[in-house]
Amino acid sequence: MPLAEIQLLFRDAIVADDSMRILPFLAGGPDPEIGLGIHRRNYESSLVTALLTKFPATVWLAGTRFVTEAARCFVRERPPRVPCIAEYGQEFPQFLSKMSAAERMPYLQEFAEMEWHVGKVAVEIDERCLSREDLSQIDQDALADLVFSTQGGVRYMEASWPIDDLLKLYLTETGPGRYPLEPTDVWIEVRGARGEFHIDRLAPSEFVFRKSISEGSSIGAAAESALEADSAFDPCQAFARLINAGLVTGIKQKGGQP
Amino acid sequence: MPFANTSILPMLSEAGIGLRLPHIAEVLATRPRAGWLEIHPENFLPNPHAMELLTELSRIYPISVHTVGISVGSAMGIDRLHLSRIGEFADRIDPVFISGHLAWSTRDTEYLNDLLPLPFNKEALELVTTHVKEVQDTLGRPYLVENPSSYVGFHATTMSEVEFLSELVLRTGCRLLADVSNVVVSAHNMNYDPYRYIDSLPADAIAELHLGGYTTERNLLIDTHAAAVADPSWELYKYTLHRIGPRPTLIEWDNDIPSLSKLIAEAEHAEAISSQAVQPEVHCATR
Repeated sequence: MPLAEIQLLFRDAIVADDSMRILPFLAGGPDPEIGLGIHRRNYESSLVTALLTKFPATVWLAGTRFVTEAARCFVRERPPRVPCIAEYGQEFPQFLSKMSAAERMPYLQEFAEMEWHVGKVAVEIDERCLSREDLSQIDQDALADLVFSTQGGVRYMEASWPIDDLLKLYLTETGPGRYPLEPTDVWIEVRGARGEFHIDRLAPSEFVFRKSISEGSSIGAAAESALEADSAFDPCQAFARLINAGLVTGIKQKGGQP
Repeated sequence: MPFANTSILPMLSEAGIGLRLPHIAEVLATRPRAGWLEIHPENFLPNPHAMELLTELSRIYPISVHTVGISVGSAMGIDRLHLSRIGEFADRIDPVFISGHLAWSTRDTEYLNDLLPLPFNKEALELVTTHVKEVQDTLGRPYLVENPSSYVGFHATTMSEVEFLSELVLRTGCRLLADVSNVVVSAHNMNYDPYRYIDSLPADAIAELHLGGYTTERNLLIDTHAAAVADPSWELYKYTLHRIGPRPTLIEWDNDIPSLSKLIAEAEHAEAISSQAVQPEVHCATR
């Protein structure tokens, strides 16, 4: 049998638990089925552990047993497609929310997504940010067309539950016996670097403005989007706050060219 | 690629330790006595903060890069994008070694996060030869290939693991990373003599040695890297040094990671053994 075929059968044995087709080709050791079982367990346990380590707050919220079982299903249905396991699990929040036991936790997906973002930004590094002095040298007429690069450790997410408050409970190790949670639209900025992070709620228009800039929109286009969200939005003040927050790291030409 | 002997490789007389993320800040702050550090690049590529710290550490310690994502045994080819990222990573920290495993872990676009076994036959040898040559050409450095820990074999195997590795060295000029604990694990599980295995390896090609802990389960030894180095591994390590002479040696500990001081103590024990090693014998030992 060609090697490619052997590897396909081996893959099916450890990922899909279908060992009957590979066993006739295995030899050596006290029992090939036991040896195969070690690889199957290595695959599952290493990835499940990686997911549980990546989502500790989600485990706190939804329970170890439930999240572990979901992680077991996830690694079987969606094997990694990246060589760095730290990058594995972005789809896990959505997968988790489809589990039948998640029906009573409609906020679970958003909460787990926020935790994913926290994990990503906390390993970033802050780059040197632009100051007001740097910007004073820019032709003000050209400002609206400029595209800015922003810190790598920033993510924006819109949620329909106060998931940031839930995370604070986890971080402060507060465990109220009962915690009333009502649907509430929140616009969140998650920012971090070098092992630390913080989460801020933004006004909807500020959120749209900052998110648009982080996604490569020009200042003018970002301001227009923000004004659609709130006609009272002040682009100048919002831009000043963005600079003061140290979020802007460089200037690109319009269209994203550096 | 002309890698005639190990003399062109740096001789690191003090034992090294596998540097894992929980220990980075402590190593940087306390600068413990360790000959060198070995890291998995896959832990650093998606982590700019850890990469920043590693870059600083690379100015203090020699760094060895031990990949787990270059799957030289994959029938469907290696991930050239990942290989290219490893190359850029290596250019940044200028490692003393770059190594990986005689195994496969990818199929199509999936990464199976385990070091999976190969049948040792002509087809696999030709495939691994092609991939190791590509890795070395891309990296512009010799690649060290590590012997696997085995739990299962194949009817399609037509040569021994040592024959496979020796032929790979001849065909590619690659070097070997002899994981002494893997030899103990595989010899126990696959029922062969670990000392004869060491005798049969091409000694001149061995550039690095690994030692790691294993655990016992249902009469199998499992290469968990979750415990201290076991006595049979220390004994085989002594024998290996006796046979081939001193080599850069690394202590690996990846699960249930202990305190840094415990890891350093294991490395010091390896050094003590190495310092007592006599000159290599010319002829094969018989046991």
